[in-house]
Amino acid sequence: MYFKGINSYGDRGLVLDFGNETSKSISQEVNEVFLNISNLNLQSLNIIPSFNKIVVIFENSKIRDQNKDKISLKMKDTNSQTNKKINKTWEIPACYNEDFALDIKIIQKLHQITKEEVVNLHSSVRYYTYYIGFMPGFPYLGDVPSQLITPRLATPRVKIPARSIGIAKNHTCIYPKVSPGGWNIIGQIPFDIFDLQSSYPSLFLPGDEVKFYAVSLSEFKKIKKHNFSLNELIKEYSS
Amino acid sequence: MNSIIITRAGTHSTIQDFGRFQYQHLGVSPSGAMDQRIITELQKIIPNHQNQFLEFAYVGPSIKVTEGSVKICVGGNCNMSIQKNNNSQLEYQPYKSINLFEGDELIIHNTIDSVYGYIAFEHGLGLEPCLNSYSTDTKAGIGSINRPLNDEDIFNISKDVSSWDLISIPKPDLEKATNFKVYPGPQLQYFSDNTLQSFISSVFTITNQSDRMGIRLKGESLISSESHDILSEGILPGSIQVPSDGQPIVLMRDIPCTGGYPKIAILNEEDISRISQLPPETKITFDLQTIY
Repeated sequence: MYFKGINSYGDRGLVLDFGNETSKSISQEVNEVFLNISNLNLQSLNIIPSFNKIVVIFENSKIRDQNKDKISLKMKDTNSQTNKKINKTWEIPACYNEDFALDIKIIQKLHQITKEEVVNLHSSVRYYTYYIGFMPGFPYLGDVPSQLITPRLATPRVKIPARSIGIAKNHTCIYPKVSPGGWNIIGQIPFDIFDLQSSYPSLFLPGDEVKFYAVSLSEFKKIKKHNFSLNELIKEYSS
Repeated sequence: MNSIIITRAGTHSTIQDFGRFQYQHLGVSPSGAMDQRIITELQKIIPNHQNQFLEFAYVGPSIKVTEGSVKICVGGNCNMSIQKNNNSQLEYQPYKSINLFEGDELIIHNTIDSVYGYIAFEHGLGLEPCLNSYSTDTKAGIGSINRPLNDEDIFNISKDVSSWDLISIPKPDLEKATNFKVYPGPQLQYFSDNTLQSFISSVFTITNQSDRMGIRLKGESLISSESHDILSEGILPGSIQVPSDGQPIVLMRDIPCTGGYPKIAILNEEDISRISQLPPETKITFDLQTIY
């Protein structure tokens, strides 16, 4: 148990504190607690997990105080396990073609490795989805192999192409749509991961496992043409 | 069918409601009307507003009825008039419903001593919700209309005006005081007692680098004794975060979903609406509440 306690956040928020460190096992606990308290049907407006905190937001202090005990009780109930396994394991096609790998040379140079080594290393690991944030559907994945750990770009890019794969520090990510940003871009995936037409609009959930596999440019274009819906993507690329 | 056209979009005109909730863990900001006190008042006048309010800032929009008729009500402190289809001009005051007929044009020149104003439309604007809300987040491209309104945008309202009767309420007394009671933020302990003393005893100025995402303040530098870089965590509107330059930012309705700056304090919900209406150059002060 990493859970430290529940603190107030202003007059209408709560912070569930899991310490100041970050690791996969802390995040596993955070994401399990996130599911548990999501299932409590609290009168909350938002429940936001991150590396080592869960912020719960209410309309006002009265509702917050009424709901705080329910969360405290749930946290004390050590037998409460998430029975439903809702997290998925993904195999995601990634094209590391030079047209998409805008910053791969930075990583090659920093670590003195070849492009092939970057690709092999990046696609060798089953990543953990720490949480979704920064922009709609943006997954913080980790940890990347130590030979790929690279700081953010000194000057953030104004326009990162949609579906780009990035690396910053020990995390990797996918940009759901065009955005400014400072991650080192090393490739692109052939489909959208955030769809407003879907009742659950984000392809990835906190706690999902994600592995990339390299595809050629022609294979990338073939998949892109399908224009898969989120439901089709779940069938095709997750288990 | 009843139709209106935007003849002049104004600046920062968007569709808003009371906010989009239950999606922040997927990176979706709550958004919603900057001054929720005003749309709460407008509900009394146009009960069937369908949560599709038009928000504007500084320069208001002009809208013209091109077919049929619509009942509307404007809220906020605005300078405006109605150009009737027979070329006569009509005085119009906010917080009174009015029926507009084919050819009539509502012209909102600007907001007075404030920033945001709103229009409520009976039966709404014929829009479909997006993730259970009509609010627009222009940065994320989310909303029943996922961008600011443009000239020539057309809205079709299929239901006819329910009754020609007009309703008005006394102009609400929306507090404009510039002192804000704030609660301790999650990283209050990142700031020394001396810095906290400057935070509550000095005057901060609202800068023109302020929008739906945040209000940037200028004043005494609030340098953290620990760090200005924390691991990103969930944040809520009204939080006052302090980046490394020491100049605080009050996070508003289109907040980023997680943030990596320490938060010294947070405003209460009502005060998010109040601070949103203070124009650049307004001087404000904070009063830290210890019990909450």
